[in-house]
Amino acid sequence: MRTSRATALAAMAAVTGLVLTACGEDSGGSTDGGSAAGPDGPVTMVVPFSAGGGSDLSGRAMASGLEEVTDSTVTVENITGGSGAVGYGQLLASAGDPSTLLASETSLVTLPIIQDVPYTYDQFTPIMKAGEDYNLVIAGGDSEWETCTDMVEAARDESLTAAVSGTTGPDAIAWTLIEQEESVELQRVPFESTAEVTAALLGDQVQVAAASPGEVIGQLESGDVKALCALAPERYEYEELADIPTGGEQGLDVTFAQWRGLVAAPELDEESTRFWVDAAEEWTTTDSYTEYIESNYLQPQTLFGEDFAEYLVQYDADARSALQP
Amino acid sequence: MLDNLALGVATAVSPENLLWCFIGVALGTVIGMLPGLGSATGVALLLPVTLALEPVTALIMLAGIYYGCQYGASISSILISTPGDSSSVVLTLDGYQMARNGRAGAALAVSALSSFIAAIITIVGLMLLAAPIADLALRFGPPETLAVILLGLSTIVSFAGDNLLRGITMAAVGLLLSTVGIASGFTDARFTFGSLNLLSGLDFIAVLIGLFAIGEVLHQIHRGGEAPIRARFKDLVITRDDVRRMIPASLRGTGLGFALGVLPGAGATLATFMSYGLEGRVGKHRAELGTGAVEGVAAPEASNNAAANASFIPTLSLGIPGSGTTAVLLGAFVVFGLQPGPLLFEQQPALVWGLLVSFVIGNFMLLVLNLPLAPVFAQALRVPYSYLYPFILFISLLGAFAIGNNTFSLWVAFTAGVLGYFMKRFDFPAAPLVLGLVLGPLLERSLVQTSALGRGDLMIIFERPISAAFTVAAILAILAPVVLAAVRRRRAPGRARQSTPTA
Repeated sequence: MRTSRATALAAMAAVTGLVLTACGEDSGGSTDGGSAAGPDGPVTMVVPFSAGGGSDLSGRAMASGLEEVTDSTVTVENITGGSGAVGYGQLLASAGDPSTLLASETSLVTLPIIQDVPYTYDQFTPIMKAGEDYNLVIAGGDSEWETCTDMVEAARDESLTAAVSGTTGPDAIAWTLIEQEESVELQRVPFESTAEVTAALLGDQVQVAAASPGEVIGQLESGDVKALCALAPERYEYEELADIPTGGEQGLDVTFAQWRGLVAAPELDEESTRFWVDAAEEWTTTDSYTEYIESNYLQPQTLFGEDFAEYLVQYDADARSALQP
Repeated sequence: MLDNLALGVATAVSPENLLWCFIGVALGTVIGMLPGLGSATGVALLLPVTLALEPVTALIMLAGIYYGCQYGASISSILISTPGDSSSVVLTLDGYQMARNGRAGAALAVSALSSFIAAIITIVGLMLLAAPIADLALRFGPPETLAVILLGLSTIVSFAGDNLLRGITMAAVGLLLSTVGIASGFTDARFTFGSLNLLSGLDFIAVLIGLFAIGEVLHQIHRGGEAPIRARFKDLVITRDDVRRMIPASLRGTGLGFALGVLPGAGATLATFMSYGLEGRVGKHRAELGTGAVEGVAAPEASNNAAANASFIPTLSLGIPGSGTTAVLLGAFVVFGLQPGPLLFEQQPALVWGLLVSFVIGNFMLLVLNLPLAPVFAQALRVPYSYLYPFILFISLLGAFAIGNNTFSLWVAFTAGVLGYFMKRFDFPAAPLVLGLVLGPLLERSLVQTSALGRGDLMIIFERPISAAFTVAAILAILAPVVLAAVRRRRAPGRARQSTPTA
C-alpha cells in the first residue's frame, strides 16, 4: 500500500517536474550580452500567433539567427489572442525595453486599420523587413482558365467564387485591388487558413484563390492546383516558380506584397535600436537566413531601421485604400 | 503495396527509430495528462529538440507525441475529471463516474484497449485507402460540413438525460459564448467590451478546464470530507464482461471517428460527442450511460483515437492538415526540407511508410505501457481529496495559463469554474455547453460559407446529395424521439407499457 501510494506521488512529481522544466526553458539562461549596447540578460521574441504557423516559423528562424550573431539567449514566446493584438499589446507594454522583440508581418499594419486596437504600426520601433512574398492567383488543376485575364474575363459575365483565408488577409486585399482595377465583383468565401482554402480549391468548392507560393508549392508541383499569375512586379526566380507569368505580363496591373520582419518595443533608445538593426543586418548575411528564405519561397528583399519605417508608411497608405473603399 | 510495407517496416524497426518512437509516445502520454498543454503545443515545443535527428526519426517521434497525447488525456479525464482537450470531455461523463464507483483501473484499461483497437483499424485503413478517401473528403464542402455540424448538435438529445430543456439551454449558452470575438467572415468584434483578450473569443480549453476540473473541485469541497475511494484490487482490473461490452462500442466509435477525422476541420471532438450519442441510441446498456458504463468510455475514446489517426489522411496524401496538431506536423515537414503535398507518397516512400509502420509500433508500446499502469494510476485516487485537490487546481491553472501565456485565460478558467460549480449543484449538464462552444464557430463559419457559395441562398444545402442526407438525418434525430413519445402517449397507457421501446 505504501509503495503504490509512493508510486502515484512519484508519477505526479514527475509530471510537475516536466512542467517546471518546460517553464524553465522559456525563461532561458542568461549569458553575457555580447556588445556593450546590447540587452543585458535574455531576450524574448514575442510571436503573436500560435506555434507551428508562418509567424512562428519566422520568429524561430530570427530568434536562432540573432542568437548566433549576438551571443544573447533569444527565447520564443507565443503570446496569442485577438488575431495577434494581444502579442502586440505585450510589446506595447514593454516600451523602452531592449530585450523584447516581436516577429511581425503584414497584420501589424492591417489590423489597426480594421479593428479597434490600442496601437498603430508607427508606435513600435521598426528593425528589419526580413523578406516578402507575393500572392499567386491559383485555380484547381482542371480549371478552364489558364491566365488571370481568363479569370477576370469570366468574372465579367458570371459571379465567381473566390476564397479568402480571413477577411483582412493579404489575399483579401489582393482581391480588392483586382476588383478596383478591373471593375469586377467577386463572391468571396471566407476560410480560416490557407490550408482550408487549398482544400476547398482541390474539392472544387470555390473557383479561385490567392496564396503565397510556399503554402501551395506541393499542390502546384503535383498539378492539383495551377497558378494563373503571380501578383508580383517580376517573375519569381525559384526554379519551380519561374514559369509563372506576372499579372503585369497578362495586362493585370496589380501587385501586392506581404512582408515578414522584426519590430522592437516603442520608444527604444537610439543605441539599442542600432544594436538590433546591426544584428539583424548581420543575420541576413548568414546561411541560416538564406535557408529560411529559400525553404519558405520568400523574396530576400530586406530593409532596416529608417528604410523599413518609410516602407511601412507607404504600405499603410496602400492597405488603407484597399481595406477602406 | 507490399514492397512499400516492407520498406516501412525496415525503416521503422531500426534501433534508433524504435527508441525515439518510445520517447515520443512516453512524452506524449505525460503531455496529454496535463490539461491545456495539448498535443499541438507539445509537438511545437519539442520540434527544436528533434532538429539534430534524421527527418524520419524526428517525425516518428513527433507523431508519437501526438497519438501518445490521446492516451494521456484519457487518464486525467477519468481520474480527476480534468479533460486536457475538448475531445476528452465526453470521456469525463462515464469515465469519471466509473472512477468514483471504484473502477478507475478498469476504466483506464478500457480506454487504453479501445484506443488501441481504434488505432490499429484506422492505420490499416490509412495504409490501404489513403488516396481514395482523401479525394472523397474533398467533396465535403461548406454545405456538407454545415449539415454534419447540425447532426452533431442534434446529439444533444442524447446528453440531456432526463431534461431535454436543460440540455438545449446549455447548448444555447455554449453557442452564445462562442459568438464572443471577431465574427467569421466579417471584421466586427462582438461582445468584447473593448477587451483585446476577447478579440479572438473565449478559449474553449480554458472554459472546459474551469467547467470540469475547477467546478468539480469546488463541488467536492462543498460536499465536504469526501472519503478516498477504497477500491478492492479485483475492481481495479478489467473483467471479461468489460471486454465483451467494450468491443462493439469501440468498433462503432472507430467507424464514426474515422469518417469524421478525415474531414479537414470537423474532427475529433465532434466524433466523440456523436459516438456517445450513438451509444445512447443503439447500445445494449444505454440505460446505464452517464452512471459509469463501459460503453460510455470505449466509444468516445475509440472515436477520438480513430479521428486523430484519420487526420493523417489529408495531411499525408494532400498536404492539408486534418487537425491542429497535424498542421504543426506539416510545419515540421517544411523545417526538415520535405515538401508536404500530393507527391509525398511517391517522392518519400521510406519516410511515409516508415511513419505509418511506426504508428502501429507506437500504439503497441502505448498499450503495453498503459495496461499495467492502469491500476497503478488508479491508486492516485486513494490519496485523500484534501491532498489531491490543490494538485488538481495547480495543474489546471498552469494549463490555463499555458494556453496564451497570459493571465487572462486564468480568469476565464476561474469564472467557468464557478459557473461549473453552480451547474453541478443545480443539475445543469456541462457537456452540451462545451459542444455548443466548440461547434459554434464552425457552425457560423460554414453557414457564412454556404451562404456565400449559394449567393445568399441557403437552399443549396438540399441541392447537394451528401448535405441533404445529413440535414434530413439531423432533423430526424431531433424529431424522432418527440414523435415516438407522442405516438406512444396516444396509445392506451396499458399497451404502451407492454410494447418494447424502439429507437
